[in-house]
Amino acid sequence: MDPGNFLLFATGGLADAAYLFIVAAGLSLVFGALRVINMAHGSLYMIAALVSVVVANRLGAGIGFLPALLAAVLVAAAIGAVIEVTVLRRVYGHEHLVQLLATYAIALIIGGAARLIFGSNYRTTSTPIQGSLTMLGYSYSLYALVMIVAAILIGAAMYGLLFRTRLGRNIRAAVSDPDLLNASGVNVTMLYTTVFVIGAGLAGLGGVIVAPSQAVDPTIGDSVLVLAFAISVIGGLGSIIGSAIGALMVGEVISFGLINPTTNSFALAFVFIIMTVVLTIRPWGLFGRAET
Amino acid sequence: MGVGAWGRSWLPSKRADRVRWGLAIVLLLAAAVVPPVSLYLEAQGLIESARFEIVLGVTSLILALWAVSYNLMLGYAGMVSFAHAAYYGVGAYAVAILLQRYNISYFAALALAPLVAGAVGIVTGFVALRAVRLYFSLLTLAISQLLYSLAEGWYSVTGGDNGINGIATPDQLTDYPTLYYFVAAIVGVCLLLMFVLTRSPFGAALLAIRENRERARSIGINVKAYELAVYTIAAMFAGVAGALFPLVQPSVVPGMLFWTENAIPVVVTLLGGIGSFLGPGLGAFIYTGLNNSLSRDFPYQLDVLLGAIVLAVVLVVPGGFASVPDIISQLRRRVVGEGPAPADAETKGEAISMIDVTRAVESHAIEAEHTEKGKVLLKLENLSKSFGGLRAVESVNLEIHEGDRHAIIGPNGAGKSTLFNLITGRVRPSSGRVWFDGRDITRKPVHRIAKAGIGRAFQITMIFPKLTVLHNLQYAMLAHRGRTIEPWGIANRIYRDEAMGLLDAVGLGPYADLPAGQLSHGDQRAIELAISLALGSRMILLDEPTAGMSAFETRKAMELVRTVARDRNLTLLFCEHDMSVVFGTARTVTVMHQGRILTQGTPDQIRSNLEVQAVYLGELDLDEEEAARA
Repeated sequence: MDPGNFLLFATGGLADAAYLFIVAAGLSLVFGALRVINMAHGSLYMIAALVSVVVANRLGAGIGFLPALLAAVLVAAAIGAVIEVTVLRRVYGHEHLVQLLATYAIALIIGGAARLIFGSNYRTTSTPIQGSLTMLGYSYSLYALVMIVAAILIGAAMYGLLFRTRLGRNIRAAVSDPDLLNASGVNVTMLYTTVFVIGAGLAGLGGVIVAPSQAVDPTIGDSVLVLAFAISVIGGLGSIIGSAIGALMVGEVISFGLINPTTNSFALAFVFIIMTVVLTIRPWGLFGRAET
Repeated sequence: MGVGAWGRSWLPSKRADRVRWGLAIVLLLAAAVVPPVSLYLEAQGLIESARFEIVLGVTSLILALWAVSYNLMLGYAGMVSFAHAAYYGVGAYAVAILLQRYNISYFAALALAPLVAGAVGIVTGFVALRAVRLYFSLLTLAISQLLYSLAEGWYSVTGGDNGINGIATPDQLTDYPTLYYFVAAIVGVCLLLMFVLTRSPFGAALLAIRENRERARSIGINVKAYELAVYTIAAMFAGVAGALFPLVQPSVVPGMLFWTENAIPVVVTLLGGIGSFLGPGLGAFIYTGLNNSLSRDFPYQLDVLLGAIVLAVVLVVPGGFASVPDIISQLRRRVVGEGPAPADAETKGEAISMIDVTRAVESHAIEAEHTEKGKVLLKLENLSKSFGGLRAVESVNLEIHEGDRHAIIGPNGAGKSTLFNLITGRVRPSSGRVWFDGRDITRKPVHRIAKAGIGRAFQITMIFPKLTVLHNLQYAMLAHRGRTIEPWGIANRIYRDEAMGLLDAVGLGPYADLPAGQLSHGDQRAIELAISLALGSRMILLDEPTAGMSAFETRKAMELVRTVARDRNLTLLFCEHDMSVVFGTARTVTVMHQGRILTQGTPDQIRSNLEVQAVYLGELDLDEEEAARA
């Protein structure tokens, strides 16, 4: 493998890692603060991707992307708010079994509704930024590079939100002791809704960003959800840095799997082997904290 | 359906039981007449094709088997698995590959399929069960996707994403009614096996694990081994279901293993009722019917509807699910005002206990006379434990004699709870040894130490709240005597009389058939004591036995402990903050401070020890203590 070839696969892995990180970070944030595994996270990603494609195609590629992004993320966040208020509030503190089944049921409902509204055929849209860049003999789409930059910016923004703002301080406090936080005058109910809406918005953002580079249909959420689980479990549920590292590992494994057909078949299997090994040796993940 | 998966067997309403059995018989009869009724209806021109209806029936039967096997984990052991579809798929692939590559008969392949699925199940289950609860579920998700990726990527064996097509139905089964009855017989035998399993002592162990993992371990159940066993058994039955699948659809594809396929057994199980054995079977027929009538015209509405049903079931009965007879009987009780028995039994029990207390006080006075020392039962040698930099327990040497009532006192953070956890094996020592009855029990797992004869009452009451008081004891006996490995017999009928006898001994006879969680705090402690006795414990550790009790309850509880300890020659080791309890019960007192043993002696020696007073008793008014004891 020459350096140009290596760079090609590595960059492909970074682009995959970019959108996977955004989705996984949302999942991880919600788990960290609310202690709920959201099985409907992939569904929010899928809905946002579909909405953005429909809006972007209606308005025309290029100009349509920003309104599409806004609309799609708002839709995902709004659905997230509805889920939190109507369902999640009733299952906080229940056994994981109840939470898993409840959010799984929501995933079924959103999946069915998406097929009703958008049909089950796949849709595509063109990338908002055309053009490419040539490095070491291979050309790179500018949009892939923009995805990578966007993921870095979002990661930095989340870091700033969690560690530089009052909201972030409250979220971190809620992780360790929600009752005490409530007693000190913070509206924890509202805080939980906010966190879940942010998580839903991140799922949506991931969906929108990836939509121009792949075919979009109502099943895309199912495989992304499992990858997002793999990433956040490898990195440690609740850890943003963990999600970034996990996303890099998974993105690169999948990308370098494309080298030949055999490795391609088993690249996904390899991701789940990594996940299994990490969970077996260090159940709380590389950067997570042990649950007592 | 006899045993309620969610501890329903305690329900007094025999009518609910009759309804349940009646429903089961109607369901089985209905399943038995599907082919003749379909043929008759076709002859009358009422349906288009009997063959179509019979195939739907076969599909329902296969689904019923799959879902009931899923409920073995979900309903009985409380495990949410996302890999069950994978074992179903493995069963189907096993048959397809054996038929097409090795050319053996379908029936031989059908017999081998559960072995293949079971083998995959035990290996992957071993990995998945390295984690618990949520992380277990996530691991099953990873395993499911791993198996899916293998099915899709391993072209030479599985045919890759094309799957394996054109699987021939054996000649003997081409006639549709024969096919139906063949599948019905296989499914029937499998259901019967699983039914026997759920009622057996093995099933009792699963219920205990679902109710309270911690407690299950301390009554001597090897939780992981049982979880792995039920996981593997469920995988084998899923494998049978998968092996039957090619009879209705002659191709297997990797998609059968994708994790979202688990929606089917989950939905079917919840549709029919997680709380009953045959519920998922009923759910399978409802699901197939709905699927068939809606999927042609409203395929997507169906998904929404199924999701809504699951959500409703999960939310309406928060904290657990129950089947319809349960809800009905609860509603009826609420409407008719047919109050449950506890209030009544409580007052009766109180009266009985009052007499016991008076009697016990008298006998204690006599018994306090002789305090001869038995042989050393528990010996701690240089036992130490540090958590990071904190030395919770440091070089503790302690000998506890048989028949002694030994109290450990010390301020908060003295290391008492850690010491207890070291003895019961919940925490592993950094160094040192623990000997019990001459045997080294250092670093032995919790359930082994429990079996050796060290019982424990927890700081927070740890019983099986949804099981009846009687079953709490019976299951403890089954576990302790190693009978929970038996997959046959009826658990609720074993050791019944012996358990009743123990309950009478601790004054809980009148409560035998109530759910343990409904009893008062003090009486729940008494259940724990009885469980320890049922386990044949020779030594009982009590960690703040009277925390949270009223003064009356405290006296009652400690008298009970003393009486039982004397009658059964038990050795007691307890820690307690209430000095009246300590000096009223203990024969030997050990004082701990900052992880070390400060001193040891009779209660009188300890009271007069100035050092002890300085670190600990200084806060107490001794005169008041004197008064309390008098």
